[in-house]
Amino acid sequence: MACGLVASNLNLKPGECLRVRGEVAPEAKSFVLNLGKDNNNLCLHFNPRFNAHGDTNTIVCNSKDGGAWGAEHREPAFPFQPGSVVEICISFDQTDLTITLPDGHQFKFPNRLSLEAINYLAADGDFKIKCMAFE
Amino acid sequence: AKFEMTNLEMKVGQTLKLKGKIETNIDSFAINLGQGADELGLHFNPRFNESIIVCNSKGGGSWGREQRDDHMCFSQGSEVKLTVTFQSDEFKVTLPDGYQLTFPNRLGHSHLSYLNVRGLHISSFKMD
Repeated sequence: MACGLVASNLNLKPGECLRVRGEVAPEAKSFVLNLGKDNNNLCLHFNPRFNAHGDTNTIVCNSKDGGAWGAEHREPAFPFQPGSVVEICISFDQTDLTITLPDGHQFKFPNRLSLEAINYLAADGDFKIKCMAFE
Repeated sequence: AKFEMTNLEMKVGQTLKLKGKIETNIDSFAINLGQGADELGLHFNPRFNESIIVCNSKGGGSWGREQRDDHMCFSQGSEVKLTVTFQSDEFKVTLPDGYQLTFPNRLGHSHLSYLNVRGLHISSFKMD
């Protein structure tokens, strides 16, 4: 996986929404959006797997606290296709992150690190960010 | 703290659109584009205290010669939209009122991987 865009000092606050639009590569196997404080402290590792690590069309979410991964959460919804443009919205509060998928499906992932601001975003894998908005 | 992006993968011909709110109580704000903090093809720096826009480049950590433009159309605390088009020979910056200024691609960059923004709270980022 090529290392993608990294953004820091975003200063995204609870209640605000991060909207990310990008292109999924035509032969996509997997991509990642990481959100948190820095690379070792992630409140959300969002990893749609088309065909990777033994998973097919599954979203795997996790957190990373001081460099240590938490328990994986698997979300059965998978509204992603290789070679398409997708938009994902993520908002958070003290207890949860709310992820809105391209088809409008929403799910929550616990804010295990209780972060009060999201300052770090990194993309990796078969996805190229074209647009980001903070609302 | 300044907003920073790495691994940007901006190629010749692409345009970056930034929207944001200029902070209050600052003397200037800046948008820097290049291949790292010490390799800036474009330092775009509107200064309120001098009422001027200063552009420059930084190669190997050393600033080049300043280019000054007196079309200072920014005010503190306002929402602004800016576009930067990256061409092989120059950067073209379109200001909120449509005025365009250009700055030569002195470092001869063919791609840009680094962006940082100071004094401007970014609300949207788009690369075409």
